[in-house]
Parts: sequence; C-alpha cells; structure tokens
Amino acid sequence: MNLNIKADKGQTYDAIVVGSGMTGGWAAKELTEKGLNVLMLERGYEIKHIEDYKTAFKDPWEFEHRGKISNVASEEHYATMYFSAKEGSQYMFTNDKEHPYVQKRPFNWIRAYHTGGKSLVWGKHTYRWNQEDFLANAKQGIGIDWPIRYEDLVPWYSYVEKFVGISGQAEKLAVLPDSHFQPGMAMTAPETHLKQSVAQKMNRPITIGRVAHLTNPQPWHTALGRASCQFRNRCTRGCPFGAYFSSLAATLPAARQTNRLTIVHNAIVKEVILDDKAQKAKGVRVIDQNTLEVREFYAKVIFLNAGTIGSTSILMNSRSARFPNGLGNDSDQLGRNLMDHHLAVGARADIDGFENDYYFGARPGSLYIPRFRNWGSDKRDYLRGFGYQGGASRTDWSRGAAETGFGADFKKQMTQPGPWKINLSGFGEVLPDPNNRFYLDNKQLDKWGQPQVVFDADFGENERAMRKDIMNDGAEMLEAAGFKNVVAYDNPVAHMGLGIHEMGTARMGKDPKTSVLNKFNQVHACKNVFVTDGSSMTSASNVNPSLTYMALTARAADHAVAQLKARNL
Amino acid sequence: MNRRDAVTQVAWILGGVLSAPTIQAMNRWQELGLTSTHRTGTFLTETQHEIMARVAELIIPRTDTPGAIDVGVPDFMEVMLRDCYKKPALDTFLTGVDGLEKKGFLTLSTDAQTATLKQIEADTQKDSGPSFWLITKELTLLGYYTSEAGIKASFDYQPIPGKFEAIKINPGQKDFMYGNQA
Repeated sequence: MNLNIKADKGQTYDAIVVGSGMTGGWAAKELTEKGLNVLMLERGYEIKHIEDYKTAFKDPWEFEHRGKISNVASEEHYATMYFSAKEGSQYMFTNDKEHPYVQKRPFNWIRAYHTGGKSLVWGKHTYRWNQEDFLANAKQGIGIDWPIRYEDLVPWYSYVEKFVGISGQAEKLAVLPDSHFQPGMAMTAPETHLKQSVAQKMNRPITIGRVAHLTNPQPWHTALGRASCQFRNRCTRGCPFGAYFSSLAATLPAARQTNRLTIVHNAIVKEVILDDKAQKAKGVRVIDQNTLEVREFYAKVIFLNAGTIGSTSILMNSRSARFPNGLGNDSDQLGRNLMDHHLAVGARADIDGFENDYYFGARPGSLYIPRFRNWGSDKRDYLRGFGYQGGASRTDWSRGAAETGFGADFKKQMTQPGPWKINLSGFGEVLPDPNNRFYLDNKQLDKWGQPQVVFDADFGENERAMRKDIMNDGAEMLEAAGFKNVVAYDNPVAHMGLGIHEMGTARMGKDPKTSVLNKFNQVHACKNVFVTDGSSMTSASNVNPSLTYMALTARAADHAVAQLKARNL
Repeated sequence: MNRRDAVTQVAWILGGVLSAPTIQAMNRWQELGLTSTHRTGTFLTETQHEIMARVAELIIPRTDTPGAIDVGVPDFMEVMLRDCYKKPALDTFLTGVDGLEKKGFLTLSTDAQTATLKQIEADTQKDSGPSFWLITKELTLLGYYTSEAGIKASFDYQPIPGKFEAIKINPGQKDFMYGNQA
C-alpha cells in the first residue's frame, strides 16, 4: 500500500467531529451554535438532502426487480439478512462485501457509510429511558454503575425532543417517561380493540409508537425546510419532505446556518493523534477512501461519533507510548460489554372480522407495549425486561401466491384488501457481559490497510430466559383480544447486531479503572476526546437508544464548550 | 419454526416497514440457496417463453382490465429468472416448463390448459419448498400488480397519501396501493 503523508498545518479547527450520523449531527449542531469552528469527517460518500434521494419518488414499476432482491445485491448485503439489498434503499446501506468483518461468533454488523449514516435508515422509534434504567446495574450488581442518573438527562431529553419532533401520546407512565410530543399517529380498529382488551383484562397499557416524525411542524422545524409526514412509508429511500428526523434533514442544516461547519467526505479516520506529554489529543489522521491519501487535521476538542463499533475501533487503533493498548484503554474495557437489543421473538395471529375496517395511508410506525416484567411488584427468574412493537394490518395482493386459485375471479379478489393479521415483536434488554466483545485483527486488513473487526458476542442465559416470556406474554395478549391462530415464535437466526442498536465497548463510569469514559463522555485519561454514541452506554435498557445518545451528545457538547472557555481542555 | 418463518419475522421486526412482497422475496431467497450464477441475455427458449406467457395470462387474464401479457409479465419473468433465482429453484422451474412443453401445452384448448394448471396446483400443495407453480404464480402476481397498468387498473394508487387514519370501507372496494414495496 502506498500512502502519501501530507500533514497540512492549515487544517486546524476548534473541534473535529468524526461521523455525520445521529450523534455526529448533534455534536456539529451544538458545537457550531456555541461558536466553535467545526470540521466533520465522514468516511463514506456524500448524500445531499432531498436531491440525492434518488428513489424517493420512484413508482414500483420503475424498479427492475420490483422490490425483489437480486442475486448480486444479496451477495453484497449479507449482514442485514438482505433487507438492505432492496432496490429502493440499497444505496443507503454499506456493501458488506467491500467492507468485510470477522464473525468469531455470528454478528449482523449493519452499516450506512455516507452522510447522515444510520440516521437516514433508522426505525425512528424514540423513547426516553426511565429512572430504573440508570439504577439497575448498581442495584443488581451487574456491570458497573452509571455515572449519571435519569434526572441528569431530563433537561437534555427535553431540549433534543423539541428540536427532533416526536409523534406520540403522553401516558404518564414511570416505566416509559413522556417526551415532548407532536400529535400521535392513529391506531387501526383491531389495534384499538387490542389496547382495550389488554387494558381491561391484564391492566397493561398499550400506546401508539413514539416515532421521530413531524405531525405538526413547529416554526423551528419549517425554518430548516422540514414538513409534516406524508404517510408514504418510503422512509428508507430518504424523505424528501424532511418529515422524519435525520442529521441530513435537521442537525446538519442547523449547523450549516452558523457558517462554522466544514464537512469532508470519504475521510476514514485511522487514529487520533496523541500528544503523550500533555495527555491530550492533537488531531486525527485520515485516509481518503478513494485516493488513499493520508492527511492530518488538528483541533482542541475531538468528538468521536462514528457509531459504536467505529468509534471504539478508532480508540483501539490510536496507540502511543502512553496508551499501548488503545487510547483510553487503561481499564482494558475497550471493546467489551458489547450489547444490542434481542428481538425476532414474539407472537402473531390472524384476526377474524373487522371486514369493514381499514386505514388510509402507510403508517411509518407501530404500536408500543411498554415493559411490564420485573416492574413494580412483578418478579421473574431473569433480570430486566422487554417491550413490544407491532401492529395490525390487512394483507394485500401478495397473499395470492400462496392461495389456491387463478383466473378472472382470482384476479378480481386480489384487488381487494385481504384479512387482518397482527404481530407483536419483542425488544429485550441485553445485559453487559465483559466476554461479549469485539477486537481488531491486525493481521486481516481491509482495502485501506485497516485491521478488520472481529465480533465475539452472543446472547446469554438471561436473554434466553426472557425470550420465553416475550413469546408467552405476547401470545396471551393476542388471545385476550380474541384473535385466532395465535403463534408464538422465537427466531433461531436472530444474532446480536440485528437490532442495529450496538451499545457499549467504551462505557461511561465513575472509576477510570473499570470504565473508558467519565460522566460527560470524556475519555478519563484524555479529556479533550469525547465519545457520545452508543459505545458510551453502560447498560442497554429495553427501549430504543437513539434519543438517549442525542441527549448525551448535546450535554457533552455543552460541557466541552464550557471547559474550553474555562481553558481546562 | 422453519427458516422461512424466521426470516419473515425478522422482516416484521425491522421497523415493520417491509412490505409483504419484500418478505416474500426474502422467504424465497432463503429457500433458494446460494450458488451464484449471474446470467445475461434471454433465459427461456422461444417456445418456453410462449408457454409461460400463456400460463401467466391464464393466471391473470385480460378482462375489463389488462391481463398479464398486456403489462409485460412474460419479459419480466425472464429478467427475474436471470437475476433473482438460483439453483435448485431454477432447475425446478425449468423442469416444470419442460413438462408443459412435452404435453404440447400450447396446442391444448383453453379448457385443457386450465385443467392442466389446476392439476399442477393440486399436486403442488402436497409439496414444500419452491415449486414451478409457486415461482410462476409469484412472478406473475408481482409482475402484474406492480406494473403501472396493473396498479392503476386494480387499485386506488396513492403515492402521497398525506395522512393516516382508520376508515370504513364497503364490500368490494378496491385496495389502496402506496408504492412503497421496493
């Protein structure tokens, strides 16, 4: 490999943000709005908001394979079990063949290397964590205690929620604290029936999924060019209305308005450059993914927002005399306690009746059933809990392939909506386990000469015990509603990573001996390096994590600027 | 639970945004195995193409709305067989076409053709795994109900619904399509 070293002394900024996705966008927005000149480095290609959503307005007949996955595409997108190989959204996901990784134990590493990262393809379910989520580790002696509590995040949750725009319904539940909501989306008739049945017979609340879609845009949303959700449910092709929250639609436009944001694409951050004497970072070393040119950029503060595996890999790769095992790895915790949410388990059923009930529009959301296990007086033989996402919908013409019949009558039948079906899918908490980890293999390099990631992680006994409840409880709720042919399922091919909620590997903690980051997401022994994505998580909760990453990032950025002003960094 | 169910459930879980056709595609994909052959050019012989055109038209005939041939299903089948199927499903499919060719399918009366397909359908239901009939029917339905003429003739096509609400419908009312399957 021929690397051209070109250290340009002119490339100095106040702050460098590595990654342009969910948290990188927030870091850039907050730091620029507080007056810093920020360089954002994105390892992938550039996607411009709206104009590069090239499939957003395509009709079904414009896709050669009409949504069916081609042999070539499936070979290029194996990490996702092929859902990312769809013609409409292929360009939003990383080609796994070109970006290989090693599975010592099976792991679905789903990536989106381009502007906006996974914020362009996320599921958009957006929930606050609850008080217990930040206390459970300490109470139960699992992992280490969080260095923060729910109350530390409350003002930051509020702050980011208003900007993001979250559609949902306030329920005043301690287990699922309310956010600042835009109007919630509607339920279908069988969903309302399920909600009422489960409330009456089992005293469990069901609410409409809280999703980051604008349903009543406020002036600060429209000022960025964002509009209300159009209920097309073509989200993974990119939203030309900017209705769902992504860094492209929201945080990056806000940061650009300050004229203090520079974005460089195709810039793979190889390592953080250390000033060992000062125990501070000076900048980063970057490889251009197309030209292989190596450049250096310098800054007073560095935010790593490259995604859980990406950010921790950069720390691991940043070795020096002071940090021979990776930047900030005095605790040997780097890469450990890899978590996700375990899913692909739940229950489904057929629904008789409701023939006159239907819905208009394609809802980009679902029901949400908050955690009820190991909550309040409920005690199970495992720790923590789970929630469900899911919903009821009517089948379309595609039911016809498996049905008997063909010809004129059959053809006409297919033009009418089919029977209702319902599915409840669990999302369970995964406990931190130091033996669930990833590391870098310096002997197996990718095409940029960088060590490949090796995954060595799996679900444990606690998760497996919980899955039985997820199946049975789901089935019981569907039965309580009187639905038919109830089937509880547990998918044996669901491995860690499929939740695309990778967490941990550079956890926050009070003690530098057992954690990588402090309570403001600073590397304990290198305080001008902040890591504010999923890698910083000390436990996983059972609710979707993005909102908490965003709140942590805004909070860390506020701290970084205050420390810079106080000349502490 | 078999692998096909498993993959379907994965699709459900991943945001619930995957449409039924996609899930079907994923199911199919899982069943087909992974020997790679990316072919170019025409997949079927001229006679085989004619047979499949006739079969598709019997599944979705021209009525007061266009039929399978009107919207180009036969050519669509060729593309899909070339790009999206592998052995052993392709062999199963070709064996099925071959069987029809040997029966002189194109020379049969319409009633005899229909009876032949009904027999194939009845035999298929005893099978598991990808069969000639299932592949044929799936490709015909996909090709028809996602074509421009097929969608516009069959459904209330709403590419920008603008709202989501629970509604009442009348018996026989056309389904809505939103064009979000791909």
